[in-house]
Amino acid sequence: MIQMNNIIKQFGNQTVLSDVTFEVKDKEIFGLLGPSGAGKTTIINILTNQLDADGGNYNTGCNMFETGLMLDTDGLYERLNCLENLNIFADIYGIPCKKSLEALKNVGLEDAAKKTVNLLSKGMRQRLALARAILHEPKVLFLDEPTSGLDPTTARGIHKLIQKLCDNGSTVFLTTHNMEEAIKLCNHVALLHVGKIVEQGMPTEICERHNAIKTVPDLEAVFIKLTGVELG
Amino acid sequence: MRSIKAIFIKQAKDMIKNPSVLVMFIVFPAVALIMTELIAKSNQDIPNNMFVTMMAAIFAGMGLVTSSCAVIAEDIERKSLRFLIIAGVKPHQYLIGTGGFFLIAGSITSVVFALIGDFTITETIKFLSVMIAGSATSIVLGALIGMLSKNQQAATALSMPIAVIIGFTPMVASFSEPVEKYASILYTQQINVIVSDFSANFAQSLMVIGINIVVLLMLFIITYRKKGLKG
Repeated sequence: MIQMNNIIKQFGNQTVLSDVTFEVKDKEIFGLLGPSGAGKTTIINILTNQLDADGGNYNTGCNMFETGLMLDTDGLYERLNCLENLNIFADIYGIPCKKSLEALKNVGLEDAAKKTVNLLSKGMRQRLALARAILHEPKVLFLDEPTSGLDPTTARGIHKLIQKLCDNGSTVFLTTHNMEEAIKLCNHVALLHVGKIVEQGMPTEICERHNAIKTVPDLEAVFIKLTGVELG
Repeated sequence: MRSIKAIFIKQAKDMIKNPSVLVMFIVFPAVALIMTELIAKSNQDIPNNMFVTMMAAIFAGMGLVTSSCAVIAEDIERKSLRFLIIAGVKPHQYLIGTGGFFLIAGSITSVVFALIGDFTITETIKFLSVMIAGSATSIVLGALIGMLSKNQQAATALSMPIAVIIGFTPMVASFSEPVEKYASILYTQQINVIVSDFSANFAQSLMVIGINIVVLLMLFIITYRKKGLKG
């Protein structure tokens, strides 16, 4: 179980997270929603020990080897091919290199295994970054805007994969500013605005609470009602 | 050990596909070979090994500083290093894997220099020892500059002038006594002294190189503690 209690983070005089509290149950997909600059990536950076919090406490319920991470920057080795990129991490984790091929197959990149990274499209790079994150079958997966900038077909492919990972027992923590994605994928969501959680719960429950169900639940309407800000 | 091996293999695969780094390990011995064959061997006034020793000293000082610095700065800028660290690679393992690879690549290039040169067995051993010690010093210097740089562009802007000064000072010193006097504290000058004259005080030169390594390592540790490898 991932827990964050009263987390505070400041950069200089600017408070970027204030009193952030939420809980993510095992084997669920949890979405952290908010516009750019809300503090979503800062929360992931704290949960993955890349940043220290200035106050509060948190627990991911597992060690770093049991977490997978996909960030807004992919950090792939441009001159190496897809398989070589994954094999580096397979060697680091001490798992057989055949797992790299399996991971590529899972994200639909088996035909591009020998393709150099700098020749991949953005969607393929995203999928390769996801393959690297799931290579060692982590218990908890942190995905920072996994479908940002992708075409709908590729995004749907990634949604299916995230759902499959959750069905196989992984806990998925994702950030997004795409409300449709959150409604479609997430069991629970938290709405983040200027470093504060303004609402959290099941997407349909939140929409019902704020009378934002017309034909389908409309989380974006809830967000605008609560913050007065439109998602970019 | 597993992580160091993974980083080492990654560097080897990456360097083969990275012309800007690969060229550093090829161009200096190639120039030494061409100049030795075309100029030194046909001119009685020029010592046979002059171009080998000159290019070897420049390679040890310049080539390894710029290449190790470029690789570390690239890993920091592209956030690749961040993913390695999240995967459990300790910063010192990353540095040992990367530095170890460059040390072996530098040693192989030094062997190529030794094969081009006309050395006896004792001279070859002295030549290789001083080149390997010099290469290690340059790698620490390159890693230090790479760590201080925000991106590759900044790393090149910082490493190039330093590498040129370090690499070319021995050549300038051979024409100017005052420069030679001050340059004697530099490890590249000591490499040049030994490889140009094998009867020179080998122990003293190695000691100066050792002091250079210690000073750079101390600077490296201080910077690392202050700044870290912010991937």
